[in-house]
Amino acid sequence: MSANPAPPMGPAPAPPPPKDTVKVIFDGRAVEVPKNLNLIEAARLAGIDIPHFCFHPRLSVVGQCRMCLVEIEGIPKIQAACTTPLREGLSVKTTSEKVRSSRAATMEFLLINHPLDCPICDQAGECTLQDNSFGYGNQLSRYDERKRQYPTFDRTMIGPHVIADMTRCIQCTRCIRFCQEIAGTGELTFLDRGGRTLVWTHDGKPLANDWSGCAADVCPVGALTVREFRFRSRVWYLKKTPSVCPGCNVGCNLSIESKDNVVYRFLPRLNPDVNDYWLCDHGRFLSESLNLRDIDKATARSGDRVEPVSVPAAIERTAREIRAAADAGGPSALFFLGSAHLSNEENFLLRKIADHLGCPNRDAIVDKGRERRMKARSEWVAGDDAAPNHRGAKEMGMTPGRAGHGLEALLAGRATPEVVIVADAGFSTIAEDPVRVAALRRARFLAVAARTSNALTRAADLVLPAASLSEKEGTFTNLQGRVQIFERAYLPKPPVRAHWELLLGLAIALGFGDRSWTPSDLRAQIAREVEGYGRVTEAELAGGELLKKGDFAWKGAP
Amino acid sequence: MEPVLTARLGRADSRSIASYLADGGYGALKKVLGGWTPEQLTEEVKKSGLRGRGGAGFPTGVKWGFIPKDTRGKPVYLLCNADESEPGTFKDRLLMERDPHQVIEGIILSAYAIKCRDAYIYIRGEFYDGARVLNAAIEEAYAKGFLGERILGSTYSLDLTVHRGAGAYICGEETGLIESLEGKRGQPRIKPPFPAVSGVFSCPTIVNNVETLACVVHIVNRGADWFAKIGRNEKNTGPKLYCLSGHVNRPGVYEAAIGLPLKELIFGDAYGRGMKNGRRVKAVIPGGASANMLTAPEIEDCPLDFDGVAAKGSMLGSAAIIVMNEDTCIVNAAQNLSKFFSHESCGQCTPCREGTPWLYRVLTRIEEGSGRLEDVELLERICNQMANGMTICVFADAAIAPPLSSVQKFRDEYRYHVENKRCLVGAKAALVTA
Repeated sequence: MSANPAPPMGPAPAPPPPKDTVKVIFDGRAVEVPKNLNLIEAARLAGIDIPHFCFHPRLSVVGQCRMCLVEIEGIPKIQAACTTPLREGLSVKTTSEKVRSSRAATMEFLLINHPLDCPICDQAGECTLQDNSFGYGNQLSRYDERKRQYPTFDRTMIGPHVIADMTRCIQCTRCIRFCQEIAGTGELTFLDRGGRTLVWTHDGKPLANDWSGCAADVCPVGALTVREFRFRSRVWYLKKTPSVCPGCNVGCNLSIESKDNVVYRFLPRLNPDVNDYWLCDHGRFLSESLNLRDIDKATARSGDRVEPVSVPAAIERTAREIRAAADAGGPSALFFLGSAHLSNEENFLLRKIADHLGCPNRDAIVDKGRERRMKARSEWVAGDDAAPNHRGAKEMGMTPGRAGHGLEALLAGRATPEVVIVADAGFSTIAEDPVRVAALRRARFLAVAARTSNALTRAADLVLPAASLSEKEGTFTNLQGRVQIFERAYLPKPPVRAHWELLLGLAIALGFGDRSWTPSDLRAQIAREVEGYGRVTEAELAGGELLKKGDFAWKGAP
Repeated sequence: MEPVLTARLGRADSRSIASYLADGGYGALKKVLGGWTPEQLTEEVKKSGLRGRGGAGFPTGVKWGFIPKDTRGKPVYLLCNADESEPGTFKDRLLMERDPHQVIEGIILSAYAIKCRDAYIYIRGEFYDGARVLNAAIEEAYAKGFLGERILGSTYSLDLTVHRGAGAYICGEETGLIESLEGKRGQPRIKPPFPAVSGVFSCPTIVNNVETLACVVHIVNRGADWFAKIGRNEKNTGPKLYCLSGHVNRPGVYEAAIGLPLKELIFGDAYGRGMKNGRRVKAVIPGGASANMLTAPEIEDCPLDFDGVAAKGSMLGSAAIIVMNEDTCIVNAAQNLSKFFSHESCGQCTPCREGTPWLYRVLTRIEEGSGRLEDVELLERICNQMANGMTICVFADAAIAPPLSSVQKFRDEYRYHVENKRCLVGAKAALVTA
């Protein structure tokens, strides 16, 4: 007999379809989980929390913090969950006494040299070490020695945005791995070894990549914090509102963290298709700009005098001017300028007003900025618009209609409409250029909605106070064509109103529209009328999951 | 037993290739390249029962067999672990500095067995002389055609490079060594994958100790049966180098058949010739700093081989026997060793990074006379929560050996230290402030 029997005759049986799940037994309970997961993620799917510090779903697994210890059937020694590969029938104990005491041991080791001054640490409230010490820490310390200090490595700026305090570091290396594996810049490294190990920059080169804030985001403790937010507010006072980054057309999902009508910071929201767990520094630090406002009431110019007026009166006057111009010179005497900073709903409403009047003169332009790159789950996404919604504005119809002209014609002097309506005074740097503003100013009547003043608002006949991103709701369409909602964090202070409210007021004054319309009604109209917008799903609209600093959310299979 | 590994060390020009050739050197290589297959050589080493001399005592031939049959086009690497950083160990240094060609021949043979084309000697940074000697010897071997393309006219080619470490104990751990060789921080890797599957540069890799590789030469020359007959039993075979240090009359490196009784090593005329000044033995560390201490009664019938020492609850490790006499303060000894481990921890795993300095500080406190009774128990508890799977590598398991074994075996001495703020023995001036 041959040792290798000949293959059986006949066609080979079709191989069974590859199974992409495995059965893992957690504390005696079998759970079917995707097999490409880490054990910590699989446990989370099963509703079991395995505490950890160094593990992060997008960074390489290093198994260093030794917090995620579990018992694996068949292995006598305690094992790190993060380094245990999933396999069919894997049996994991996550609650045994050995597991509890081993995790408590790691907690004790982490805490002996960690300052226990949470009340003065900016991470308190979103600190993984603090959270886990409630679960596994001891009330009393057996460590009676002097705690480790890092003279000259504490409270130091290691880059333009990040402040490092090595006394708080637990050496989890997430920040090092972020810089190496996601940013690809590798500014951070371990220095020295043993109990003297610390994380620092190579040769004093600053941590200055485009995503340096994320290094602080992934830090589970208060070792890396962001200068712009540090000590400005306790995190538990902050309200998280899902929003979309206004910085460019990538449209990163973020949460606006605000308190008492003030924006304190942006944090990324997990969306694997757009920005994953990350947010670039450019976008992150636009948060402060949402608090800027020097136009808080409607004003009207007569001659050289600027007088406050009520918003309804200002809208009424704008409508009157529009009608007068249209009656005298026809709809082509009007010009409507949308904005890549405004939502789809607002651009849509402005286009409907133009349509209502039969005016083809409308436009929305965008400044080109530096290319902003963002690492999505599986690819880089890059955008170079300086505003989030140029694609949406164009798709809403804010482009010159038949026989109409665009902004270019106005600026070049080829067209001089009687009335110019600028829905957003901050639409472009053009609004800060006196020469080009003078071209717009050739109109007999110039009305703008604005939050901050610039050359355009100073030149306008009528200025309406408009809301910031955090004060209104709407959707942006990013460069991938993804329509994403941003929610209102807080109401604007009267008489400031959202752009869409001002525009709706104008529409009603001009004889169409309904006072009860909300952005969601406008979205319904967009879905019916604008090609490609009928298929936007609720999930796509809602975008990513809320995150807190140092933590990760879990969303579906990766 | 007549010396095998150390046979040539006494010769005046033992380093030169001329003298090595005159003593029949590179004969094993000629024999193997003259018709042995790599599998044959591996089989011979398996048959010899050779176990790794670096510390773990894993059967060498079996280790070689872990290289996947199909490496999917990846090259196989052989790394000679010459980091010899275990405190009390100085045998590899002797072999490299005094008889480098024996080591090189062992490397070539072993590389042939695992079909490796590029081998490295990772030598401890402080062994400047060793690196110099090895480099000179490698140059001679290239000139004679024992290294390089088509060795001795065969189809086999091998390049050998010496890489100097930067002075880290942890780079003696095989995955730490691999990381260091790749130019990274010397930090042990998570296993699996084991180096035989994915080691240096993500290729199949075998890491062998200097002495292990030197043994291969003699297995080829004299046969596996000859090798297997040396030693206490069939699981512990071959000649072995013992590094004897401490309070003995004649410290040094001694070669003997593996399984030499510990008492014979300390007191035998051919070896240590007894305790200095006739003092009594208090404790012996049988396998380098990472091994548990043995007390005087425990050394009575302790054969120095892997299983013999393990039966006593310690390990042969790198066969570094450190003898302490009755005047040694055991707290001071544990403190000294703990200082070493706290200095050498790589710092990646929490329990080791935080635990080793903690142990050192508690021991220092006791030693300096400000210990408390609960400190003795605290030491044990810190040790017990550092090891057994709590960390990636076994450094922490090694680091707890001196304090834990000494607390367990000399608890009274620790108690005395705490209660009286001075040593039980007068060896160290006590710090009495009261």
